[in-house]
Amino acid sequence: MTGQEAGRAGGPREGIGYFARFGVTERMIAETLAAALSRGADHADVFFQHRVGSDLGLEDGAVNRAYASVELGVGVRAVKGDQTGYGYTEDLSLPALLECARTAAAIADGPARSGPTRLHIRADLPDRYPLVRPWEDVRPDEKLPLVAALNERAFAADPRVKKVSVFLRDESGAVLVADSSGRIAEDLQPMTLLYLSVLAEDGGRREQNGYNVAGRAGFEFYTPERLDRVVKEAVARTAILFEAGAPPAGELPVVLAAGSSGILLHEAIGHGMEADFNRKGVSIYADKIGKAVARPFVNIVDDAANPGARGAINVDDEGNAAGTTRLVENGVLATYLHDGISAHHYGVAPTGNGRRESYRYPPLPRMRSTYMLPGPHAKDEIIRSVKRGIYCVNFSNGQVNIGAGDFTFYVKNGWLIEDGKLTRPVKDVNIIGNGPKALEQVDMVSDDLAIDEGGWTCGKDGQSVPVSQGLPTVRVAKMTVGGRG
Amino acid sequence: MGSAEAKGAVADAGSRSLLEVTRRAADLALKKGAREAAAGAYRARHVEVAWRDGQVEKVTEATTRGLGLDLYVDGRYTSVSTSDLRPEALERFVEDAIVLARTLAPDPHRSLPDPALYRGQSKVDLDLEDPTHGALDASERRRQAEALEAAARAVPGAGAILSVTTSVSDSLGEGVLVATNGFEGSRRSTDFWIGAEVTVKDPDGRRPEEYASSGARHRADVESPEEVGRRAGERALSRIGSRKGESGVLTVAVDARAAGRMVGSLFGPLAAASLQQRRSFLEGKLGVAIGSPLLDVSDDPLVPRGLGSRRYDGEGLAARPFPVFEGGALRSYYVDTYYGRKLGMAPTTGRASNLAWRLGDRSPAELLAAMGEGILVTGFLGGNSNGTTGDFSLGVRGFRVRGGQLAEPIGEMNVSGNHLELWKRLAAVGNDPYRYSAMRTPTLVFEGVQVAGT
Repeated sequence: MTGQEAGRAGGPREGIGYFARFGVTERMIAETLAAALSRGADHADVFFQHRVGSDLGLEDGAVNRAYASVELGVGVRAVKGDQTGYGYTEDLSLPALLECARTAAAIADGPARSGPTRLHIRADLPDRYPLVRPWEDVRPDEKLPLVAALNERAFAADPRVKKVSVFLRDESGAVLVADSSGRIAEDLQPMTLLYLSVLAEDGGRREQNGYNVAGRAGFEFYTPERLDRVVKEAVARTAILFEAGAPPAGELPVVLAAGSSGILLHEAIGHGMEADFNRKGVSIYADKIGKAVARPFVNIVDDAANPGARGAINVDDEGNAAGTTRLVENGVLATYLHDGISAHHYGVAPTGNGRRESYRYPPLPRMRSTYMLPGPHAKDEIIRSVKRGIYCVNFSNGQVNIGAGDFTFYVKNGWLIEDGKLTRPVKDVNIIGNGPKALEQVDMVSDDLAIDEGGWTCGKDGQSVPVSQGLPTVRVAKMTVGGRG
Repeated sequence: MGSAEAKGAVADAGSRSLLEVTRRAADLALKKGAREAAAGAYRARHVEVAWRDGQVEKVTEATTRGLGLDLYVDGRYTSVSTSDLRPEALERFVEDAIVLARTLAPDPHRSLPDPALYRGQSKVDLDLEDPTHGALDASERRRQAEALEAAARAVPGAGAILSVTTSVSDSLGEGVLVATNGFEGSRRSTDFWIGAEVTVKDPDGRRPEEYASSGARHRADVESPEEVGRRAGERALSRIGSRKGESGVLTVAVDARAAGRMVGSLFGPLAAASLQQRRSFLEGKLGVAIGSPLLDVSDDPLVPRGLGSRRYDGEGLAARPFPVFEGGALRSYYVDTYYGRKLGMAPTTGRASNLAWRLGDRSPAELLAAMGEGILVTGFLGGNSNGTTGDFSLGVRGFRVRGGQLAEPIGEMNVSGNHLELWKRLAAVGNDPYRYSAMRTPTLVFEGVQVAGT
């Protein structure tokens, strides 16, 4: 999409990796890091990003809109203890980089530290999103029929369907982070997301719903099976709303279906385990490492390594290895999610959770793919066990207060459970609980773990990052259901 | 970026060059084959200082820029944006975008706005740029950040405070819009924000948090750090001992700061795109009573120093005030050019500016005294509103109101209902518009709301 020229004014410096095409050289990086350390920072890093996005949209029967975006920029960070100085720019020239570096450097106020004498590119990164059909090579005339076909199939699936919209997004590009230890990590980060939205009418009533799928993958992601599922789920989730009502209001047992119900973990424990909140003592989980927070069959992980998952990363945005982090092991709180600052603060190894939305932001401890491991119960057994409660199937959004621990998730589709059976559909209900209390009350966990394929995005401190989540079928003995009557 | 107007006279060399970049991009689009185009560019300077428990936590400082283009090519439409403004990269980017546009289906409703709607911009001085912006320096930002913390920690009961995080930020932004059918506009604005978040220790082990913030176009209109820090400390300490109340149907007051959340989900379905896609519970309701007679709100883009003020909107349409709800009846939708054409409706504007409420004459305390029993919502947590049906369900925290007085703090509760019923039960409107949001919501009191708790 953008210029491919390598090298610019400045003589015979060697370009580095992906960013050579923008004239970025080893020497520029070394000079920038030296400037960032010029006032005595303990650590510095420079983060380059190029992200090319493309969207095709369908509305009213035609693929008649496209959006394209290019984000190209660089951020420079200096760290002194727990303190951060940060500057960023869209101008990748050395003078602009040095200005950012001097801005960042001012967080410290002492004698200069020397920068790295040698830079070395990490060659040990995994390949968690191998591409068969990279988006750079996929022509619009291959994508258009896919989008158009979904429209036709959604209309054909149910005569009550009156409006359909489809968006297909793909991203390609790279990030490169170099730090004051001389380490450089570069990662090519593809992403795709497909959203099908359906509006249906039935006897003068209208309902709207949809389904979306996302992953770090190329065009091969859209297998016939996946596309079938997108149509079937989007239409079914809309159609059932005509039969659905509000559940009762008040405290009830809540059963969470396998899959996207992982939103429970994201809100009830994931955010609270991000180490910045604990380092600052503002999380309800502060000082609780090593303590029992759930029954022994509860195991929760945050995992960078699910191949092709939206929340997968090969390396975090600080250049640290990213693997599988155990949040809860046999019911006991095991490990916070760390970035470099918090790992240093706690004297532990980083967990590869330092992530950022873009070059405009310094990294923060963030989740990747958060899920609960399978447990000893069976799905049928769990549903049968509930006299009167709610079975939650899919969700639109959630939120948490980190310190008070209160969290919510919004249920778009679910069922009422009466006498151990799913009796009638429910919709549009917010469920609210308190993190540690809700974990304590997870009293049944099934063996049917599913990682959701949806396009989840997590927001924190104004930064959005892609994440995944998953859950086996789980029973929470009691939560407040925001229903009516 | 922030919506703001330039006074032509203050445009410096920098904004002339931004104007040049924008004009060149629009020309480039035509040269490469677009029939018409709109180009918008921005540049902004941001500085933010975050402070925590006695020391600077983070300083971010940057000048950022970007360019967007709407391209109309052979009856087809594409919209693109880039931060890579190198001339050769931009040329390639526009070429690629035009190739992309040509692969799409034609759309007869796509074209630039009717130029007649560009005309008649207000001459009012919106006063959105503080001329003293350049005088704000690092030591003053630090002094304010420190003062915010000190004020929070000076509140009675502050021994329970675990942590105070404060922030001081400001920005100077400029934007230029050029449309090839005869529009050129530029605007500059400043904004200044301070805020504090305070976490306190609840004896039961919870660590409830609350915040306060204040912001304005001009430094002189921002509250003092002492006032904001004190409010943050008081708000946080008031959360200690919160508990879940009983489920029931109650009178619910929503404080001015929180009320924007309720109003946002009433206004979203007013967008022409929602109407045209039949995803609006307000479709076909012009002239119909949606709320009680107290629901009376205009959109006013011409408020001097307003956070949402502008002389032209994102498409270049001259901005004018218009009523949205009058005496409870719906008077206008938010109609942009494209969906307006699809619906056969005249454009108003695609996006809200400032809201102007017909205020009541009672203070929040007087409203609580009059309501007697119920709850006061001071914050929402998650939840959502279904724009197609009007159903909503939202997590809340706040206080019980007993005998007209604030009583114990409550949390982990929920309110639910349908907007078409809720606004008819709007029983009182406060005299206290929230100044730190363009929605400027006052305290709102609703009767007969379903509340879920124990």
